[in-house]
Amino acid sequence: MKKHIIITLLAATVTFADQANAADMVFTSWGGTTQDAQKQHWADTFSAAAGVNVAQDGPTDYGKLKAMVDSKNVAWDVVDVEGDYAVQAGNAGLLEKLDFSLIDKSKLDPRFVTDYSVGSFYYSFVIGCNKDAVDACPKSWADLFDTAKFPGKRTFYKWSAPGVIEAALLADGVPADKLYPLDLDRAFKKLDTIKSEIVWWDSGAQSQQLLASAEAPFGSFWNGRLTALAQTGIPVEMSWTNNITAADALVVPKGTKNKETAMKFIANATSGKAQADFATLTGYAPISIDSPSLMDAGLRKTLPDMQAETQVNADMTYWATHRDEIGKRWYAWQAK
Amino acid sequence: MGLSVTADGGRKTPWRDGSFGYVVPALLLIAFFFIVPVIMLLMRSVLEPTPGLQNYRELLGSTTYLRVLLNTFTVAGLVTIVSVLIGFPIAWLLAIMPERWSRLVLAIIVLSMWTNLLARTYAWMVLLQRTGVVNKVLLSLGIIDKPLALVNNLVGVSIGMTYIMLPFIILPLIGVLKSIDPAILRAAALCGANKRQCFTRVLLPLSLPGIASGALMVFVMSLGYYVTPALLGGTSNMMLAELVAQFVQSLVNWGMGGAAALVLLLVTLVLYTIQLKFVNPNRAR
Repeated sequence: MKKHIIITLLAATVTFADQANAADMVFTSWGGTTQDAQKQHWADTFSAAAGVNVAQDGPTDYGKLKAMVDSKNVAWDVVDVEGDYAVQAGNAGLLEKLDFSLIDKSKLDPRFVTDYSVGSFYYSFVIGCNKDAVDACPKSWADLFDTAKFPGKRTFYKWSAPGVIEAALLADGVPADKLYPLDLDRAFKKLDTIKSEIVWWDSGAQSQQLLASAEAPFGSFWNGRLTALAQTGIPVEMSWTNNITAADALVVPKGTKNKETAMKFIANATSGKAQADFATLTGYAPISIDSPSLMDAGLRKTLPDMQAETQVNADMTYWATHRDEIGKRWYAWQAK
Repeated sequence: MGLSVTADGGRKTPWRDGSFGYVVPALLLIAFFFIVPVIMLLMRSVLEPTPGLQNYRELLGSTTYLRVLLNTFTVAGLVTIVSVLIGFPIAWLLAIMPERWSRLVLAIIVLSMWTNLLARTYAWMVLLQRTGVVNKVLLSLGIIDKPLALVNNLVGVSIGMTYIMLPFIILPLIGVLKSIDPAILRAAALCGANKRQCFTRVLLPLSLPGIASGALMVFVMSLGYYVTPALLGGTSNMMLAELVAQFVQSLVNWGMGGAAALVLLLVTLVLYTIQLKFVNPNRAR
């Protein structure tokens, strides 16, 4: 009997090991509707074309990534990270240099290309509002920070990242071209005025839940999550006034065993077709210059890169250098 | 296997006859997966980014950390008190119920423990939010005229965590309460004790070891809790595990993360020692 159990256990272990081996590489992203789209248009197309089995993991966790690189036990081959983190991690020696003989750099938006990273997709923080839940929707960051005109809870991204500080400064009247270097004192003073009315979202799915249930009838959102929510029939209004853009980036952790496969994965993911299909599905903008011509013209108009008129580009280099300093202040302020 | 009786009737303890050897694999497991990581954490907190105590200096000098530490103990304390107040009557009921009924209730309690923590926490979020079931019912009954703030604050964390911690106080209490001979209570009543005296002078002192060990377990588990406070609490009543997560995941500052975790561990150990001194289960009996 005992022997039997041991054999069953051994067989189970072997099966598990087999399954782990069956994946040729691992792609890690933030989960939810975004990763579903990445799987469909980046990973599945890559598997079909190159015969490579791509396993999905997530959510992205910078602590885990560092642990993997430090312990030389890298389980993630391609990771979707925030743009400012990509710059910082590249400088900190946590990433492999990308192989631009495999990835065609000339077809990519140069704003999002570094030695260690290429853009993944590019998004905007926009003002979202549940029309059914309120009499009037805020149209600008100043509106969103005005609790007298727009009473009620509002939701913002919880983690220290480009977006909320810029929004606070814009709401306080700082001109868009004078945002950097960020005046943190002024930003936190402005944020103080609405702090008791803020509900934080820490994942895209949570932001959708808060808006759909009208727990927070308005707030600052990733534009793609609002597009996805609107597709489910929720009456979402989006204001693009002073939309704040940032890009995610694709990186390869240092020490991966599947470096070449990882580079080929990135080459496919950033190709015109994959970027166009991903953008069509999610409402995020493509970073390949070939993509726009491949997309439906009507839909194309709704993407962040076409909302350039009052657009504000978050300064990734500024953020990469000041990430720690801003982060410390951010969390200390939140905990107050 | 453990105890063997020798011919002269004297009992050999497992320590003497060497059968404690069976425990060695378990001890090794604990050493490798608990003690070694804790030591590595300690090393990081004094070695990163440069050797020295600067992480601890920064931590203990920052009002943020002290506030978060205070929040952590407030929440853990509150959850423990409420868990005892709710758990004790339930455990008492389970102890005196007919077996088949108590088994059913116990199964329900244990079943809740088996449900995914994240799913349970999200369920509370949906129930407690402004537009949630609880507020809707209260509003429609006219008990309140404005939705109550039940989530993203101390109330939300306390409700969610008490719910999760209840089995951990109920289960040890049942054992203790069952071992109390009902005849003792009858004897007290016969000697003229009224119901209140029976409870405060007899039942409560006898069940104190169970309450103490259950409460300590709940308190210590609450101190390090992450998922529930992160989802049901607001940032202004952040708990320590969330702060550690920020250090580790977002700021990627492992030195500070390690220091923050270790201070909590030390404080917990001190509390545990004090508790052992005052409530010695063996002496209380």
